[in-house]
This record gives sequence, C-alpha cells and structure tokens, in this order.
Amino acid sequence: MHPVVAARGLTKRFPGVVALRGVDFDLRAGEIHALCGENGAGKSTLIKLLAGIHPHGSYEGELRIDGRPAAFRSVRDAEAAGLAVITQELALVDELSVAENLFLGRAPRRGWRIDWPALHRRATDLLREFGLDVDPETPVGRLGIGQKQLVEIARAMDKRSRVLVLDEPTAALAPREVGVLQEHLRRLRAGGTACIYISHRLEEVRALADRVTVLRDGATVATLDRAGAEPAVIIRHLVGRELTEQFPRAAAAVERRGEPLLVVEGLHVAPPPGSRICLEEVSLTVHPGEVLGIGGLMGAGRTELLLHLFAGWGRRRAGEVRLRGQAYAEPAPERSIARGLVLATEDRRRQGLIPGEDITFNLSLASLGRFTRRGGWLDLPAEQQAAAGLFQSLRIRAPGLATPVRGLSGGNQQKVVLGKALLTEPSVVFLDEPTRGIDVGARVEVYQLIQRLTAAGCGVVLVSSDLPELMGLSDRILMLAAGRPGGEFARAAFEPERLLAAALQAPAAANPISR
Amino acid sequence: MKPTLSLRAFALPLALGVLCLFFYLREPLFLAPRNLTQLLVEFALTGTLALGMFLILLPGQIDLSVGSGVGLVGGIAAVLVFHHGWPAPAAMGASLGAALILWLLMGALIVRQRIPAFIITLGGLLIFKGLFWLVIRNATVPVVAGGGENLYSRLTTEYLPQVLGLALTALVLAGLGWAQARDRAARRALGLAVSPAGAMALRAAAVAIAAFGLVLLCNRFRGVPFTLLVLAGVAGLVHFLTRHTPFGRHLYAIGGNEEAAALSGIPVARVLIGAYGLMGVAVALTGFMTTAYAGASTTTVGDLMELDAIAACVIGGTALRGGRGTVWGVLCGALLMAVLLNGMTLLAVEPELKFIARGSVLALAVWLDVRFGGGAR
Repeated sequence: MHPVVAARGLTKRFPGVVALRGVDFDLRAGEIHALCGENGAGKSTLIKLLAGIHPHGSYEGELRIDGRPAAFRSVRDAEAAGLAVITQELALVDELSVAENLFLGRAPRRGWRIDWPALHRRATDLLREFGLDVDPETPVGRLGIGQKQLVEIARAMDKRSRVLVLDEPTAALAPREVGVLQEHLRRLRAGGTACIYISHRLEEVRALADRVTVLRDGATVATLDRAGAEPAVIIRHLVGRELTEQFPRAAAAVERRGEPLLVVEGLHVAPPPGSRICLEEVSLTVHPGEVLGIGGLMGAGRTELLLHLFAGWGRRRAGEVRLRGQAYAEPAPERSIARGLVLATEDRRRQGLIPGEDITFNLSLASLGRFTRRGGWLDLPAEQQAAAGLFQSLRIRAPGLATPVRGLSGGNQQKVVLGKALLTEPSVVFLDEPTRGIDVGARVEVYQLIQRLTAAGCGVVLVSSDLPELMGLSDRILMLAAGRPGGEFARAAFEPERLLAAALQAPAAANPISR
Repeated sequence: MKPTLSLRAFALPLALGVLCLFFYLREPLFLAPRNLTQLLVEFALTGTLALGMFLILLPGQIDLSVGSGVGLVGGIAAVLVFHHGWPAPAAMGASLGAALILWLLMGALIVRQRIPAFIITLGGLLIFKGLFWLVIRNATVPVVAGGGENLYSRLTTEYLPQVLGLALTALVLAGLGWAQARDRAARRALGLAVSPAGAMALRAAAVAIAAFGLVLLCNRFRGVPFTLLVLAGVAGLVHFLTRHTPFGRHLYAIGGNEEAAALSGIPVARVLIGAYGLMGVAVALTGFMTTAYAGASTTTVGDLMELDAIAACVIGGTALRGGRGTVWGVLCGALLMAVLLNGMTLLAVEPELKFIARGSVLALAVWLDVRFGGGAR
C-alpha cells in the first residue's frame, strides 16, 4: 500500500538560503507522524510545500499523494486532495460567532440564504462531539487563544480531511485541553486519518506519535519508530549534541534569601470590561535570587495576575502590594519599569514587539531614558553598543541588529523580548510563558538566562503551562485555580499529581475552559 | 525586499522629474526662476503642514481638521491686526497659542475619551470652518492695515539677501558635517561599524550640490524665500524629533504596535496629545504663511489643505496605519503636490479638473501604499 503522502528529495531554495535539502518523508494512512526540528530546520517550509503555499515548480523533488504525483498550484488544490493545515496564526474571524466560524464558507443554505437553525444545530453537535464547552453563539474574539485553536481544529476535523497537519497545536493549550486534543487525534487515527504533528514538547510527541521524523538544517536526520523515540534521542538528533542539563536549575537550586523584593497580600482584583477573570485572596512573596513558579489552567488568572502587578490590569478591590519595600498602589508599565519591575509578555507578536522595527529599536524601547542625554537627544552610538552587547550575550541569530524583528524565528523574537526586559536593569522579572513555541536550543538558553538573573540577585516570577519546565526551574510554585490560590509548594513537594490537583481544586474551577 | 525598497526610493524622484519635464514641455515658463520661486513658497506651505501631519500619521492617528484650522488661525491673526490694531507679532503669538490649545484639547478628547481621531477631527473640520467664518464675518480681512507692511505680510514676500542665503547654506551644511563626523567618531570609539568614508563623502557632495544649486537658482530671482527657511527649520526639527529623541521613538513604536508600546512603559496618552499639540503649531505656522500668501484672510484660505498634507505624507511613504515614514519622504511628497498644483495653475487647467487630479493623486498614493507598502504588514 502506498503511503498517503510521499516526499522524495524535496529541495526548496530561497534567495540566499536553502530551506530544504533533499528531504524524504513518508506519511502512512492511520498514523500520527511527529515532525521535530529547531526553528529554522525547515518544518514550516515542508508544510507550506505540502499545503500548496509554495506551488509546484517552485521546488525540486517529487511529491506523491496515494502513490500518484501531486502538483499543487495553490492551497485550494491541496485542500481538494484532502490536506488540512492548521497553522499557529489562526484563521478565524474574531467578529463572527463560534458557529459561523466552524462553517465559514460552507454554511448550510436554504436557497440563497443561510439556514441558521441548521447551522446552530450542526455547530452544537460538533462542539459536543469535540468536548468543547463553549456557546456556539459567542463571538470568537471573546475566546482565549487555546479555545480558538480548539475551534479551528474542530473545524478541520469536521471537514473529514484525510491528512491533518497541525503546526504546534498545543503551544497555547492548558494540560486538560491538550488531553482533549490528543484524545481526538487518537480517535481520528483509528478512523484512518493520517496526521502530521509538529510540536516542541517532546513528552507529547512521546505520548502521541507512531513515528518521529527529525529535521535539522533543512535535511531529514532520522525517522524513529515509537520504540526509539526517547526524548533524549530526539534531542540528540535535534541539536546534534547531547543536552544533559535541560534544566540547569535542578542541579543548582541555591537558597538565597534576603529582604523580599515583592510582597503581595490578600489581593482582590475586579476584571476590566470584556474579561471575566477575577483575582481573589492572592498572596505571594518573591525573594532575591529566587524563582517563583505560577501554574494553573488556562483562565486561572496567571497572566492577569502579572498584568495587574505590572500594568494595573483590572481594578484592585483589596490587598497590599509592596515592591522593594515600598507600597505600590497604582501600577502602570512606566512606573513599574522605573521601580525595577519588568514583564516579558506571553503574546510576543501582539504585546511584546514592534514587528516592523529592527532589533536595536525593540531592545532599547523600554530603556530609552538610559540613552537620553541632557537636552533630550538620544545617544544613538551608546544605544547601538548596548544592543550589540545583548545581541551577543543572548546569542540572537539574525543577519544583524538592523534586521526587522518580524522576520526572526520564534526563539529569536523571544530573545529580543527578554533582552528588552533585561536592558531595563530590573530587580524583579515577570516571565509569562517564556518558552512557548520556541525550539529546544533556544529554550535551554532561556533557562540559562533565568539562572543568570537569579545568580545576579533578581527575583523571577515564571508563568508556564509546561509542568516539567515549571518544576525544573522554580524554587517554589504557586498554583492558581480560577483566580484563587490553589496551593503553594516548596521544591521538595513538587509532584505533578499534587500540582495538578491544586490547579483543579477551587470550587469555581469546575469549568476552567470556558472561563 | 531589497529591490522594492530601492525602487520605492527612486520612484518618487523619478515621478517628480517626469512631472516637471511634462510641465516644462507644455510651458517653458514652469522652470523660469520666477515661477520656481513661487513654486518653492507653495511647497513650503504644503510641506510645513505635511510635516505636522507626519507626526500624527506616525502613531497611526489622522487629522482632517487642519485645512479649516489653517484658515481659522490665519483669520484670527488677520482680524487682530486689521480690526483691533494689534501689532503683528502679538497677533500671531496669540493665534499660535489658540491653535496650540485647540489641538491639545482635540488630542486629549481623542486619547482620554477614546473617540476615533477620524470623527473628532472631522467634527473639527466643520467647527473650525464655522468659527473661521464667524471670526472674519464672511469678509476679506487683509493681513496688514492701510496697504503697509508688517511681519505678517512679509512672511511670504521676504527673501534672503543673496550672500546671506549662501552663507546660511554653508553654515548649515558645515553643522551637519560636524554632527556626522562626531557620530562617526563616537561609533568608532565604541567599536561599532561605520559606513565607508567614500560613500559618506559622495552623499555629502550630492547634498551640498543640491543645496547650493537650489540657493543659486533662487538667487537668480530674488533670493531664498523666507518661507523656505521656515520649512527647512520645521523639517530639521521634525527630523531631529523623530530620529534622535525618545518622543520620536515612541511615535514609531505606538504606530507599529500600540499594545506592545504601552507595555514597554511608553506613556501613550501623553505622547499622542503631544503629537496633536505639535500639529497645532504646524497648523498655525502654515496658517500665517498661507494667509499672508493670499494677502488677506478670505473664506477659502486653507480649503482642502488637509488632503494635500495627507497625500504628501502617503506619497512620501508614510504608512496610514502608522509606524513607518521619513521626513525626507514627506518633503518629496509635498514637493510633488506643490509641483502638481503649480503646474496646473500655470497651464490654466480648469478648477474642476484640478480637483479631479488632486483626488486621483491621493487615491493613487493610498492604493500604492496598500499594494506595495503597508499592506504586507
């Protein structure tokens, strides 16, 4: 039997770069095939080729579907052949309802009008079948990023595609949502659907994939069977070297105490219009040289807690916040940065970067005061020098400082966001999902950076949905459940089961996905 | 990306050249020193307003009220001089203050109350027009009483003595050269890369030739018009503001991604209100010059200038969505608009066709921006 998708010797050249060099790849019917590779290894190019975004003729090599040569000239051709691609940039219309989005462009009709009752009935069925607890009439814009992704996956699954390509589908999902997704993928697999699954989370790959293909520098390095796909093996293939110390902190958890840098007591915050997340009874302390991990499900209020303390999100009803010993009543980004508190945001594109501007511009944006000389002018050479220093020490991979950040890979964009935070010379650093969607190599570099920050006496608050990462990096973990503290754990008490139980604990957490 | 960039950089001067050649072939007087000087005065009016508009478009805002504002501010000053016998400097100072207050108010309304700039300034367009006509009582108010001269009237009739024009140009060029040299020295001292000296020298030579050529050309008529000096000053200031101060960085950052800018600690509201305040100053300067150029404040002064200003910015590569643009581009765009209007007037094109041509150029510029520029963001 022919593989569903067979690629032989695919080579794709861009001006100045060879993105793929002779890649071979097979996808069998009814298998989940994980595609691993650092950012820039060629995964995206391969997928764009399969999806018809890079049309036939713009690459060398051969692509066969069901044994027959395929020549996709457009995305439409690929879709007609049964390929559905779900990218990280979600293709949903925020203003339309969940139901409308699910049947976008293929709504059931009665004559020339949309058959609304049928649309809603089918949407309700689909959502129930998919285990997604959202009202089909909710505008998609009101959903969190994880829920949006599930809606889009549900839509693709409903199209009964034979080949489903998922580009980092779980990057923004909470553990429970990941579970729902995996369950569905397994069911689809049983039904004969083939699936290409791209993820940086090796535990997921381990749990889900029948086979794993590793790409490095545009070439296939290895295709591993389930039995051989140990995370350590994959990592070795990914980076071409052993990474013994994935979590440098685990080896060197230094106890450093002193006057606490940040103290929050009994914080109650009412949400701003448009949000329903309340923070209640939240207390936490951050000491110099310490990493406080914050865990919880999507909608637990982790990001909102950071945003309140840094930028004044919502309205404070009660509670006290002391930053470096002084009361901090009305937080605003400007004041926070001036007082040594900085936030590296979760959503890099939306909140972290000015995409059209270059690396220097973005790095210095939060610290312009440092480069402003008497008379109000910017000392551009000094700025350039500081940027060059960060460029080197963070090992940002780009042609130069004048490269627009829009063109950087996820890992390098994240380094720019972190560099911008570092340049403010903070004493408390909030990191919101700092490794989301970045490759293993860059991830380890972020871990080392956290290590360096704490060694220098900074306090770090780390929000992460990746439980192994949270446990590997934190000195203490505070679990949030529906905006309330679900429990605080010291390093000795880190156990996945206990942490998850704490995340699910509070009564209001009964329905964590539809917040 | 590279080829399109250089194409963009050359397309505008090329279009300008073609346009000039066209007008010259139809009417050789177009390139005569007298007409060129007049063209430069008109360029200064459009350019000054466009530079103000640039500061508004950069952070992704828009201001439709500036045309009416130009009439209003010029009208207030004229009425104070002609009807109330104020000395010209005092009258102009007072109207400048009024413009500043009006635009700060408008900015505060837009930013603090979160009303779209489009709506507020559209309201401003009508309100300022009404105020303008009230102030001048629908009459023609000369900028000077009794056919004499004052600072106000001399704004557009004053020319720099030939030697002074040349000396001033030399001084400015020397200053720029000194700043460049200092910047290079600082970079070298910090171990940063500097562009090759040959390329620098070539650029400096080109700038110097262009500048002296312009002054010599003006000197063949009456000398460098004073309004051009105003424009040069405003352009230098706006360039410095946008490229060499935190305020300018903030404008680009807000236009590029307002949320990220706010989370980077940029005081978005203050920056935006400041930009509107500067727009007010640009409106006042343009108002004085435009009214003086017309010789009197009449109901049509400033009509549709907001569109010329926006067109100049967009033609010059300023993104309507904000975050992109240069002073150099805006000046080129303003020159193109000025050439277009001046040439058409010289060829005695009917007003109907002039409107259509202006509108077409604006639409074409925005289409090009969407098609080849900001659309890809």
